[in-house]
Amino acid sequence: MYGRVNGVTVVGVHGHLVAVEAHVGRGLPSLTLTGLPGAGVQDARERIRPAVESAGLEWPLRRVVVNLSPGTLRKEGPGLDLPVAMGVLAATAQVPSAALEGWVLAGELSLRGGLVSTPGVLSVAIAAARSRLRGVIVPAPNAYEAALVEGLQVVGATTLGEVVGFLRGSWRPSREHADVADRGEPHHAVDLAEVRGQAQARRALEVAAAGGHNVLMMGSPGAGKTMLARRLATILPTMSREEALEVTQLHSVAGLLNGGLMTERPFRSPHHSVSPAALLGGGTVFLRPGEVSLAHHGVLFMDEFTEFRRDAVQGLRQPLEDGRVVVNRMVGSVEFPSRFTLVAAANPCPCGFQGDAMRRCICRGDRLETYAGKLAGPLLDRVDLRLIVPRLTRQELMSEGTGESSETVRGRVEEARSRQRRRYAALGFTCNAHLPGPIARREVRLSTGARDLLGSAVELNALTGRGFDRALKVGRTIADLDRSDLIQPTHVMEALAYRPASLLPELERAR
Amino acid sequence: MPAEAAVRPAASPWPVWPDGFGAGEEERRALLVLSALRGVTPRKLLPIALRCGSAAATLARIARGDAGSERDRAVARTMRPEDIDAAADACGSRFVTWSSREYPAQLRQIHDPPAALYVIGREPADVTSAVAVVGARRCTALGREAAHDIGHGLGRANVTVVSGAARGIDAAAHEGALGVDGSTLAVLGSGLDVAYPFDDRSLVRRIAREGTLLSEYPPGVPPSRYHFPARNRIVAGLCRATVVVEGAERSGSMITAEHAMEFGRDVFAMAGAPNSSLAHTPLQLIREGATLIRGADDLLSDLGLELDLPRTESQAELDPVERRILAEVIEPLLPDRLAVSLGMTVPAVVGTLMRLELRGFVRNVGGRFETTLRPPVATRA
Repeated sequence: MYGRVNGVTVVGVHGHLVAVEAHVGRGLPSLTLTGLPGAGVQDARERIRPAVESAGLEWPLRRVVVNLSPGTLRKEGPGLDLPVAMGVLAATAQVPSAALEGWVLAGELSLRGGLVSTPGVLSVAIAAARSRLRGVIVPAPNAYEAALVEGLQVVGATTLGEVVGFLRGSWRPSREHADVADRGEPHHAVDLAEVRGQAQARRALEVAAAGGHNVLMMGSPGAGKTMLARRLATILPTMSREEALEVTQLHSVAGLLNGGLMTERPFRSPHHSVSPAALLGGGTVFLRPGEVSLAHHGVLFMDEFTEFRRDAVQGLRQPLEDGRVVVNRMVGSVEFPSRFTLVAAANPCPCGFQGDAMRRCICRGDRLETYAGKLAGPLLDRVDLRLIVPRLTRQELMSEGTGESSETVRGRVEEARSRQRRRYAALGFTCNAHLPGPIARREVRLSTGARDLLGSAVELNALTGRGFDRALKVGRTIADLDRSDLIQPTHVMEALAYRPASLLPELERAR
Repeated sequence: MPAEAAVRPAASPWPVWPDGFGAGEEERRALLVLSALRGVTPRKLLPIALRCGSAAATLARIARGDAGSERDRAVARTMRPEDIDAAADACGSRFVTWSSREYPAQLRQIHDPPAALYVIGREPADVTSAVAVVGARRCTALGREAAHDIGHGLGRANVTVVSGAARGIDAAAHEGALGVDGSTLAVLGSGLDVAYPFDDRSLVRRIAREGTLLSEYPPGVPPSRYHFPARNRIVAGLCRATVVVEGAERSGSMITAEHAMEFGRDVFAMAGAPNSSLAHTPLQLIREGATLIRGADDLLSDLGLELDLPRTESQAELDPVERRILAEVIEPLLPDRLAVSLGMTVPAVVGTLMRLELRGFVRNVGGRFETTLRPPVATRA
């Protein structure tokens, strides 16, 4: 009266193998779960019996104990429904125990015995492969992601009955998922060529993409900040398979995956009312990746940056610096990767029209200063590129032609990135933006003219110490785009155009 | 020649306070209380004072109920001059009466001169040559630049820059003067201890330290919309000339300029584009006979002062590309437009504009570039 099935519980993004043991013995009919089941797993108890009976199978009217091992690890998530059910069926000899050998099962059950799409199946498959198991049996919609893991058999089933049939040898799964799992080239819904005018902003995005720099855009409502930010994701280098897998895994864990491998870089745009938990990751029972992790390898766009909650913004410092975020909760502590490009957007003033060509700003002076203070925080010190996005007049919009396509720009970006990778191979960095200030000052080579220019900018008070480092890194990226090993004066000049002084004269004055 | 005659060079065309008004301790105490009466402006007080002859008699009359509001009467009876004195001391200010040697001579020549002033810093009587620079609080970068230049030039020429310490044009003018250790004076529309402008007291504190702060209101009086027009008459009255840099329709600057004209002082107005709402006051004043100026240079030469402005590099030092771009910027322009019309790449245009901006030839206003007030030397001749 004993059955044993492999399951997986997901902690953070990582799957941990769980042995699900079932024992059916004497006593009043009941189902007891032991081995630190979380609230989500406890919840499954009431679901499993109806599912089994709906599938035309028999639920033992005896005392059933299911143990989840190892007992030190808290198990969470609905993915353990199927292994628990199957453990009971094995214990009652309704499925052959030998057939379960080497398989990992995962999936949520419905009361009618169906298998419902379940978050985190990619992590389950990766854990199975790491333990050198034969394959996974998962809900059919999740088979596409599971199939991304090499050297693993994937069985996608739609009902509990099919799983039982497969184990009894009476049902064969479809192989469809294996073919469509790996979609090739990313297909973008938007393109940089659709932007009219805004040549300077387009150029700034190219520089940001080429060096991995974070961007602050200031502009009146309707200037096109969101439109531009959305297109940054399309000119970033195409993701490697490892990067794409990481992104897919994070989205799988969050239950946002729809299909197989995500080849497009994610673009996340949380609303400014977002809670710190939703932005950074967390939750009371199941620790979910937050927006910063869903934007991993992509773009995190924070429109109305000044409106975000203070604690949420403060929490961005760690992911911006380390490329990962650690979420601590009562139920434990997990780490999610979160290396993203931040695009912050803000109005130039509370009313939104300071410096606008068509409307006059109506802000009171003291409000301007409060507002400028919000943009002066330590977080924005980590933003290398600052630019003004002007609202175009009708005339200007009509006269400007369209620019280059995302593909053309991406070509230059990829070339510039490969120059950086080669240069920093020994230092362990991949792009200019990640270079710490002291290393940038030591490693980055300037022509004499460029050095003089930066020096005179400092003398003219146009540049602070931190501004100097930023200009250095951005200048390095511009030189990379220009295929130059040495930073030339023209590169420095352009880099200085993305400095904050001209952006916020009021702010600079307030200091 | 008695000292009194030296500070009163000519008779004022308007009625002024009687001789000896506020002179002596008793008079001074009476005047302290009179200055605290909100319902009795100098205009109302002056005829009473002329009939009574002294501050003490005037105060007694108001306490009896012959003038002022019910509340003024109560204040006149109960207010203790020691309390006002203490408050004035607490914020480091002095009480300067009409009969004091420190009372500025120019201020004796206006209608409804204040009977007394609260002063912090340098003696206003030392202000023998002063020019008012006034304009909009919400001004353009161009206006701020012009006001700063004017303050700078006047400061270098040892002329006191008088204004209202408001943000925008006022602040830029004060800062221009302070930047070259010039003399500057701010007239407030509130008590000297009141934190106004509410957001930024740093300028006011600096003026108190390095220049003069002045108000006709005793400490603790909050700013009020009725105080500012009255304050403006003091700004205009202290100065031989008033310069209006930017002002919208029905601006406070218009009131200051009108006072200056009435007092027979010179009025200068900085030209602006007719389609700019901030050019309304200056252009209106020019139509009414004010002298048009294009910037600090014009003002200083009209005042017969030495031209000593910070100069940007001459155009001779610009390279051909920079010159071409500069010639193209006739209105605020996007770098995109410049790139198209000059056949250059956007990065090249952005870089060149940056170089021009660093040297003060252009500035970035909301993503568009415009030329600054300092025209290249070559076109100046």
